[in-house]
Amino acid sequence: MHELVPRARTSGRVILDGSDIYAKGVDPVTIRRRVGMVFQKPNPFPTMSVYDNVAAGLKLNGERNHEILDRAVQRSLELAFLWDEVKGDLDKSGASLSGGQQQRLCIARALAVEPEVILMDEPCSALDPIATAKIEELIASIKENYTVVIVTHNMQQAARVSDFTAFLYLGQLIEYGETTGLFENPVEELTERYLTGKFG
Amino acid sequence: MPRLMDIGLEKLRNIVLDMAELSQNTVSTSIDAFVQGRDLRDRIYSWSEELRMLQDEVSELAVELIARYQPVASDLRFIKSCMEVAYGFSRFGRYAHDISDVIGIFGDLSNCDRDVIQEAGAQAKDMIRLSIKAFTERDVELAGRLKKMDDVVDNIYLDFVKKSAQEREGNLKCVVSGTLILRYLERIADHATYVGETVPYIVSGERAARK
Repeated sequence: MHELVPRARTSGRVILDGSDIYAKGVDPVTIRRRVGMVFQKPNPFPTMSVYDNVAAGLKLNGERNHEILDRAVQRSLELAFLWDEVKGDLDKSGASLSGGQQQRLCIARALAVEPEVILMDEPCSALDPIATAKIEELIASIKENYTVVIVTHNMQQAARVSDFTAFLYLGQLIEYGETTGLFENPVEELTERYLTGKFG
Repeated sequence: MPRLMDIGLEKLRNIVLDMAELSQNTVSTSIDAFVQGRDLRDRIYSWSEELRMLQDEVSELAVELIARYQPVASDLRFIKSCMEVAYGFSRFGRYAHDISDVIGIFGDLSNCDRDVIQEAGAQAKDMIRLSIKAFTERDVELAGRLKKMDDVVDNIYLDFVKKSAQEREGNLKCVVSGTLILRYLERIADHATYVGETVPYIVSGERAARK
């Protein structure tokens, strides 16, 4: 959709398992299946139930077996730490949940299709501290089986949840390394100044 | 524009510098008093207690800064180092107190040879002075010189102990008091070395390899 925006352009490469995902001949549908996305603002499908929100991706991929769908929905909601809160309300609208629950629903929706990578773009910026803590716990628990890439302007959050941190500034990758090292002893002067707030 | 955290960092730095001055004076006074045979236990003890309280103050302020501002990078390294350095200065006070206690325990030691203690004492005092200067001025090269100076104090102490162990007719009072004092000076020199080791860590994150 970005390509519909006038003058929109991309540069650089995104390598997934050694292959450039923007290379010619790469099927975008396959990429989207392998890479799940969670957005800044919780965006459950507003007309769908909690159940259908999670099952939507699988149904789109042709899955019709109810037992498989039921299992996938429960598993995804459990992974997203949401199952216990909604298991009696699976038919309720996804939009009726709280903001934090909606965001975890979106994470469950992303997990349902079993991607390899999950991109989270400021997943907690619209959430209160308790909802944020739940998302961060969730990230820590799923990172065993998924690669989680989280974009955040909250440096303390980056320090809390990540194993590796990349610092990007005005479109440039300034520094990348293990989180502890980057926050304790950054190599680049720009990283040092940004982290310590010595800008301007 | 100064950051809110800078006010706290400046306060932290000032307390640590106060500790530096007081600890240097405490150790120096205790060594001089021993060499001159003067009993200054009460004065040294009160300074040592003051250093301990200042160390608590440093710890509390450091924890407050961490809790309030979540410092990272050079700020975090500086705060961590201030806590370590404050501990070192507090130990200087404690060892100075121990040195002054020796006169109280053994009484008159005017018959004992004090040259070796004067030599180690001068080296330890010099190390404290240099470690404080290196910390204050963030001088990595100066801090690097402390390691070799520490070896000198270590050797004076070990030589004294080895020599005493082989002597058959030495004055026991002189041997034990000398061993204690040199042991305290050796520990002071170690802590001066640790103070120096914080300098490269603050400047570039480089950690010293401990023995």
